[in-house]
Amino acid sequence: MKDQISQVLIAVVVFAAVVFAGVNFFQSTSTESAPQPAAVEEVEEVVETPAPSLFPVTLASAGFETTIEEEPISMISLSPSATEIIFAIDAGSQVIAVDFLSNYPETAPMSELNSFDPNVEAILAFNPDLVVLNLNSMKANEVREALDKLGIPVLMEQAPNDIEGLYDQIRILGQATGRTENAEQLINDMETKRQEILASVQDVAPVKIFHELDNTLYSVTSSTFIGSVYKDFGLENIADAAEGADQSGYPQISAEFLVAENPQIIFLADAQYGESVETVSERPGWPELDAVVNSKVIELPADISSRWGPRIIDFYQIVADSLR
Amino acid sequence: MIRVENLTVKYQDVIVLNNVNLEIQEHSWTSIVGPNGAGKTTLLKTMLGMTSYSGSVTFEGREVYKDLSRNVAFVPQRPLIPIGMTVIEYLTLGRAKVDGWGRELRRGRLFIQETLEIMQLVGLQDRFATQLSGGEIQRVLLARAIVQEPKVILLDEPTSALDLHYQIRTLDQIELLKQQGVTVISTMHDITLSNMYSEKIAVMKDGRVLLDGNSDEVVSSAQLREAFDNSISVYTLESGKKIVVASREESGRRDSNPRP
Amino acid sequence: MILKSQKTEFKPIWNVRITLISVLVLVLVVIAAISTGPVSLSTGEIFRTLFGLDGGLEGREKTLLLEIRLPRVVLGALVGAALATSGAVYQTVFRNPLADPYLLGTAAGAGLGATIAITTTNNSFSAALPIFAFIGGASAVAATFLVSGRYFSNPGVLLLSGIAVGAFASAVQIYLQQRNTEVLRPVYSWILGQLTVSDWNNVSWAALYIFFSLLILFRISKLLDGLMLSDEEAFSLGVSPNKIRIIAVVAATLATATAVSVSGLIGFVGIIVPHIIKGITRRVTNRALPTIAITGAAFLVLADLGARSLIAPAELPIGVITAFIGAPFFLFVLRTTKGGLK
Repeated sequence: MKDQISQVLIAVVVFAAVVFAGVNFFQSTSTESAPQPAAVEEVEEVVETPAPSLFPVTLASAGFETTIEEEPISMISLSPSATEIIFAIDAGSQVIAVDFLSNYPETAPMSELNSFDPNVEAILAFNPDLVVLNLNSMKANEVREALDKLGIPVLMEQAPNDIEGLYDQIRILGQATGRTENAEQLINDMETKRQEILASVQDVAPVKIFHELDNTLYSVTSSTFIGSVYKDFGLENIADAAEGADQSGYPQISAEFLVAENPQIIFLADAQYGESVETVSERPGWPELDAVVNSKVIELPADISSRWGPRIIDFYQIVADSLR
Repeated sequence: MIRVENLTVKYQDVIVLNNVNLEIQEHSWTSIVGPNGAGKTTLLKTMLGMTSYSGSVTFEGREVYKDLSRNVAFVPQRPLIPIGMTVIEYLTLGRAKVDGWGRELRRGRLFIQETLEIMQLVGLQDRFATQLSGGEIQRVLLARAIVQEPKVILLDEPTSALDLHYQIRTLDQIELLKQQGVTVISTMHDITLSNMYSEKIAVMKDGRVLLDGNSDEVVSSAQLREAFDNSISVYTLESGKKIVVASREESGRRDSNPRP
Repeated sequence: MILKSQKTEFKPIWNVRITLISVLVLVLVVIAAISTGPVSLSTGEIFRTLFGLDGGLEGREKTLLLEIRLPRVVLGALVGAALATSGAVYQTVFRNPLADPYLLGTAAGAGLGATIAITTTNNSFSAALPIFAFIGGASAVAATFLVSGRYFSNPGVLLLSGIAVGAFASAVQIYLQQRNTEVLRPVYSWILGQLTVSDWNNVSWAALYIFFSLLILFRISKLLDGLMLSDEEAFSLGVSPNKIRIIAVVAATLATATAVSVSGLIGFVGIIVPHIIKGITRRVTNRALPTIAITGAAFLVLADLGARSLIAPAELPIGVITAFIGAPFFLFVLRTTKGGLK
């Protein structure tokens, strides 16, 4: 009986595999690649031919060199920050797909592509002519090499350290998309606004702040991009004292330390994950904190403080407002 | 053919065998008796070539640790039949010595079949070890050794888990082996049975051999009583057969006829 | 003994038929795997490309098939074979139906070894990586064995020791990751267990180490049966158990360490596959090793196929699929072998 069962099992597996292989074999052959996944919107606008001198271009970014032969018209962005920049410099019509976390602007053609764990084949299925990839993605190197073998240029990028770094990235994306003038314009606009905001709070004394990444008290130091914004304002970031704990700039501080430091303003970057003024006020030791007493606990809007793009200026505004 | 000379075996600084001397003839049955801890099992294992020793243990002139090619079967006291292994698979492993590992020759299969019949294990071939009774397992262990067609067979308490009926059957089977030319060395708690079947008995205590020689003589000897701290009694029946039993008397008793 | 009868009533212990069936299954699974992906390629074109005939794929599609899909499938097969065979060997050596390099902390130790290698050489993948992984894995096995003491054949004790050793290794590894985030970014990815973005470079040296170990194991597979007996019986049959044990554990650990260094921690394969074969054939002999290797290869390629098809175009970590199948399997084996107690 047992022999029969095992034989039947084997037969079933063999049968299933044969059927599967057969179905594949007799599929109509097509030299074109896969049909595009449904989430992708059709490219409707006609792309203007760029001035011939802009391409080909070789760009150095995040430690890698990328050569782009022609102005890309079917880009993929696997970085929400890059997506925001690309659309802000009016290159959105050149994008055929963005990753599943690129939710801004809403018109961006969001797909199921994963920015953390890129799937080379899924990327290939879109037939892109340029891919923007974040260095922090899993196996970023290997993904780049694989796309390289397939003849698809990859622009690597990583979080900048400060606002100047961000402007460099905007320039690079401008060059990559052939929108160099728009890029410069965007940078000027951003810088002007930034100076305005900084000037508006010049007469405020330096205060201690705490930037909360999650409810286990991970924070950012001044060596990170977000941290650099606080530094711009001359604010004292209490997480800087914990710099040595984690070389990447995202240390976890203890509740005791937080209470001892007693920051005047607390920014909740985890507000989009459920934390709020009410929830933090209930934590042990928190009700006595200066920030809570003076109602200086600021719930940050989603993604504003975790991306490096044009909306960082909105973040500057929020910080400025909190100082008044 | 097996010669043990000045054998000393130590295990973690404890002397387990102390200057043992023994000689085993071919085609004979030698029983090793003695209280627990006397070193009987260690002596068997040493003859197998498993332990490190000082002194000399030779098998037909060659030291046992040097040469694993001789065909010596070992029947352990406690079974270690692997989980999920059937009786037939286990017995087939026994053929590895003669047929080679993993080779299944027809002669081997026939041999196994006959052994199953002789050991009354027919019908149990496809059972797992966990499904066998203690007695059945012991017969399977012996069957595996027989299937190896050994020259020498070492048995550690071969009848301890068997009822009287199977005890006699099994010992008869081992005697048959002896008659076919196999040298038998066994350890047995039951000295009466040892006397019935083996020509020679060696008495051990605390790692030493106190006496070895003809079974009948050894059974009646003072050394045997000494080995068991005088807590045994030996009776001789009218037929001449000797029975050894435990007794509670302090002083040693001489042979005497049992009361009817 | 004089043989009386001439007719044998029972069948051979091991049948070559099952080996052939496993090969067939592997071939079919591989065909299915290389034909499937977000980019659809027809099987006919695939064949023509593989055999260099006209009418095959060109350009990007050809590169996709040969440089991306094929190495991934081949790697899956190698890793599956390595893990399944190592599991079977560990089960024999440790006399424990639930022994497996993953559960005994070997895999975690290998992961730690690989992490140390990456930290000190500052290079994410190199041919020396499996050696470090091997040292880590071997140390973990030794540690588990030592911690278990003479109760190593008791599955409960062995398992707990393995968990303790594995947890320790993981803790050290996480600590190293914390202190070296820049260098170890690549490490985060493979720890979860994946075959993605494998290139022929990785595959070739992985193949080297794995084939080498498997060949050794196949060579001694018949002798390994001697380890299932008591030491005395093994001796009497002409096998020196400790020698074989060491060779077997070393080879199996090397195969596992290589698999871990190239594809991260993929668990349960070493328990699922051997027990499937043992269940189908109702035999525990180690002559099954080649079949177990082939079936392991097919199993992991199939699991990987599931990993990239079930929620396409996103991918499930392959360790999730093997755990999904493996955990109930583990409980099943635990029940049917009564925890290994006699």
